[in-house]
Amino acid sequence: MATATSEVLTAERPLAERAPARQAGYPGALVVVEGIDGSGKSTQLYLLKRWLEIGGYRIHFTEWNSSPLVKSATRRGKQRRMLTPTTFSLLHAADFADRCERQILPLLHGGYLVLADRYVYTAFARDAARGCSPHWLRNLYSFAPVPDITFYFRAPLEVAVNRIVAGRPKLKYYEAGMDLGLSLDRAESFRIFQERILSNYDQMIETDRFVLMDGTVRVNRLQRLMRQLVAERVDLTRFAPKKK
Amino acid sequence: MAARFYGLPLPGIRPEELSGSLIVVEGADGSGRSTQISLLTEWLESEGFAVETMGLRRSYLVGEDIDGLLAENAVTRLTLALMYSTDFFDQLERRILPALRSGLIVLADRYIFTLIARAAVRGISRDYLHGIYEIALRPDLTFWLNVRPEVAFDREFKKSQTISYWESGRDMSLSNDLFQSFVRYQLLMKQEFEYLSNRHGFIELDGEASVSEVNRALRTRIASHLAIRGTQYKPSHALAHLWR
Repeated sequence: MATATSEVLTAERPLAERAPARQAGYPGALVVVEGIDGSGKSTQLYLLKRWLEIGGYRIHFTEWNSSPLVKSATRRGKQRRMLTPTTFSLLHAADFADRCERQILPLLHGGYLVLADRYVYTAFARDAARGCSPHWLRNLYSFAPVPDITFYFRAPLEVAVNRIVAGRPKLKYYEAGMDLGLSLDRAESFRIFQERILSNYDQMIETDRFVLMDGTVRVNRLQRLMRQLVAERVDLTRFAPKKK
Repeated sequence: MAARFYGLPLPGIRPEELSGSLIVVEGADGSGRSTQISLLTEWLESEGFAVETMGLRRSYLVGEDIDGLLAENAVTRLTLALMYSTDFFDQLERRILPALRSGLIVLADRYIFTLIARAAVRGISRDYLHGIYEIALRPDLTFWLNVRPEVAFDREFKKSQTISYWESGRDMSLSNDLFQSFVRYQLLMKQEFEYLSNRHGFIELDGEASVSEVNRALRTRIASHLAIRGTQYKPSHALAHLWR
């Protein structure tokens, strides 16, 4: 008889109602950053990672949509512009499941501090902005472990959008939400799309216990705050280098 | 008859526009499924109905990627389940819904039920799986060609001189003996199908009856659904070899 060997997939409740990582039966911890493009989240997570790396902590960094598994399909779908909101979402879920089962969960069980640049909340905010049902999305990702901390970097829409538009020669089709037919102008479409995503993120602040971070604060001051919050909420000694 | 959805319709779809019919044939490998689909296609076309078909791994988006994953055996069950759901929805949204809108008859060589059963016997929660497929179309008719695993084994072995890794559930470590593994796996699948049959109202047919008998039973039910009288059918020269 086949037995379910993993505790993944047993929870049908929304993520927010479930116990955070430490009570979930593994010694690792999960720290996540979320926010719209240009909110400063990746910069801040990079600096947090450097701090922990330099200190010799047992950490692993992972980012959204980075596995080779679905790369060819994603590329094919994007080139031909044939992704629908549903297939776009499922493809990213398959990719995340692969990372979750082969990387994130084994590392959490192995006692690592896992740092994730974007997590399931990206799918909740972005795919719902494309028209997927929030209820359907919550079920789709119900196998994901709940983070110990989710930092939500929030910058005013215009600030974030200007950071992206100024730094990139051309916005990509799906990135700009052109598949939604919001506007024929890519920059304008991007702005409307990001506005929807931002509003979806805002709605999760309480339900998913986001730690709100002001993306307009100076980089080094914000980083100091981030390090302080991580140290308060995660027992870092568990990940510290062993003293001989 | 208008096809409907299990839960919310897919984003952007109006169910009342779908004037065609969706007819599903489920059953294990060796149940005679594909033979019956070929015969039904010819019969329906001779009756003047346009037919579209769908099946597993036939999407442009990820069909070949799944073939690659299956060949490697490195993929986890959850990722595979989600890749299959991507494959399913890509076919459904881009090929099947347009066909149904144009009033075609869609013959599905397996549908969400095989996908749900395969994942469920591998320990993924049924509620989770039904949650993913609640945005799928509910078929007008679902036939289940039921055969004993031993019979399916004989037929498959005769056809390809070997038994496939996945159809014998070898990823589940049921037995080192290939025959035992195949039979146990197919019995698990059968149990899952019994459950699905009750839940979704399958029309169960004896897959061990002769091809012509099974075909007559299928034609009778389909003719009544389509409100046509002509159930007389003799395969053309091209398909005569299937008629036993």
